[in-house]
Amino acid sequence: MFARHYKKHLSAYAHGELSPEEAARVAAHLQSCAACRSEFEEVKLGIRLAEALPTVAAPEHLWEGIEAALARETNREGERAPQTRPLFPSRRRALIPAFAAVLLALAAGGAWLYLRAQRPGWEVARVEGAPRVASGRIGDHGRLRKGEWLETDSASRAEIAVANIGEVEVEPNTRVRLVETRLTEHRLELERGTLHARIWAPPRLFFVNTPSAVAADLGCAYTLEVDDAGRGLLHVTSGYVALETEARESIVPAGAACMTQPGAGPGTPFFEDAPEPFVELLAKLDFENDHASLDSILAGARSKDTLTLWHLLPRVGADERARVYERLAALAPPPAGVTREGVIGLDRAMLEAWRASLESTWLGESTPAIRRVWRGLWR
Amino acid sequence: MESVVLTGEEARGEAVIEACKQGDREAFRRLFERHKDRVYSVALYFFGGDEATAADVSQQVFLKLFTSIGQFQGESAFTTWLYRLTTNACVDEQRKRRRVQQFGEGEELREPRGRRTQEDGLARAEVAHSVRRAVAALKPKLRVVMLLKYFEEMSYEEIAAVLGLSKGTVASRLNRGHKALARRLGHLRGGLVRDEREG
Repeated sequence: MFARHYKKHLSAYAHGELSPEEAARVAAHLQSCAACRSEFEEVKLGIRLAEALPTVAAPEHLWEGIEAALARETNREGERAPQTRPLFPSRRRALIPAFAAVLLALAAGGAWLYLRAQRPGWEVARVEGAPRVASGRIGDHGRLRKGEWLETDSASRAEIAVANIGEVEVEPNTRVRLVETRLTEHRLELERGTLHARIWAPPRLFFVNTPSAVAADLGCAYTLEVDDAGRGLLHVTSGYVALETEARESIVPAGAACMTQPGAGPGTPFFEDAPEPFVELLAKLDFENDHASLDSILAGARSKDTLTLWHLLPRVGADERARVYERLAALAPPPAGVTREGVIGLDRAMLEAWRASLESTWLGESTPAIRRVWRGLWR
Repeated sequence: MESVVLTGEEARGEAVIEACKQGDREAFRRLFERHKDRVYSVALYFFGGDEATAADVSQQVFLKLFTSIGQFQGESAFTTWLYRLTTNACVDEQRKRRRVQQFGEGEELREPRGRRTQEDGLARAEVAHSVRRAVAALKPKLRVVMLLKYFEEMSYEEIAAVLGLSKGTVASRLNRGHKALARRLGHLRGGLVRDEREG
């Protein structure tokens, strides 16, 4: 089947220059086409870089040259510059400084109010209790502007409309900030607490920063929790989420979860119905560098735990990687063209090809058991 | 009959242009102050950081603007007209100075000394410096659409009107410009992410 690609339209899509029908076609295509998604990432990076291009102030002497040339021009034409009448008669000039100060103060106050009103933001609805935005209580509805914090106490909850691409429910005892909202990127920061996100947009438009990793939406619904020490837990209920830092990325499908910890970044994802000992051993490997647990993890892996084993491949040493490969190959043989040597050598194309062949098995449903494990691990 | 409602800003802009047509020197000055940084920036980046050429071209643009403003009929947006003058002046100057080395072909980009309005941290300044170099290294036809898009925040249709291109060509050139920047400066992705995390 031949699919039409939209690579030439991606800048126009990101800038909102396409018709709604065209934009919908591109959005749908991006959901299913990895090549165009990759190209879209490149275009978005180019846009972000171009937005960093600073305006440079013109030199002070520029006007002098223009004025001199204009004066020459005027003299040539024998014209005289119009005489202007003083704005203030001489007896009133003593009042000018005071008058100017009042005007300046009014202008500054007005400008502050105007600029605040102009800052982009999202609608917030009170669900329960008394949520606060920028330290002030909101009524039934409020607005979260860029840079402002939304806080809920133990008795309050709120719902945020994420531009026109989704919604976020904010649970009690949560502190969240709107970092960025623009056509190519919408970003929250979750300092602590719990949020549930439902996003219906192309991948990688919505992000949540946590103290130890960024959750990047790949078209999904998920719950993200951060405790007071900055440790996080992601549960995905629909689609995929990438939990990432500059050094590491964990792809978490529906039914799976992933922990993250300051200093270590995202751990290895696992299905939420995995046995508790399996998850505990994985946490020891990820966050306590306890590699003695690897063999037990491999022995306990079920067929759907190829999700975990595939992610472990680049995270362990070469000798351990060979053991992970053997177990993974036993559970799900690699597709044609993917070799043992290539995988152990971390050939990117081969790893991606294997992941693509495994994705169909990465389906599962969440269970509440994992929440207990996660909390127990940090005690 | 359909009436046209102007915003306060548009009405003030029209009044300033009308005053300029009457030869009001103060109105010229106000128009200059409003547009000088962006005109200068477009010229500066067009000529790879050459401040003297950028200043010369900016002066030419404003002189041309002030001496021919009587011809401006308001049929196109004023900014479309102004930036058409600017890009034409840049292209004319480049033709005259064929010996000027393009940035990226052996000459270091000259670092502008002017006040920078968006740089308030070292990391941000480094990103801005790298982007300036990368934009200066783009082909002129890609560079000019990028400058109009990001300094003047023009729509594709406005850029097309300024440059006499189709909207599709503008889209295609911006797409190529974005990808060229991303490929050249992919290593800055982490810095941008850090910057955004820090808000």
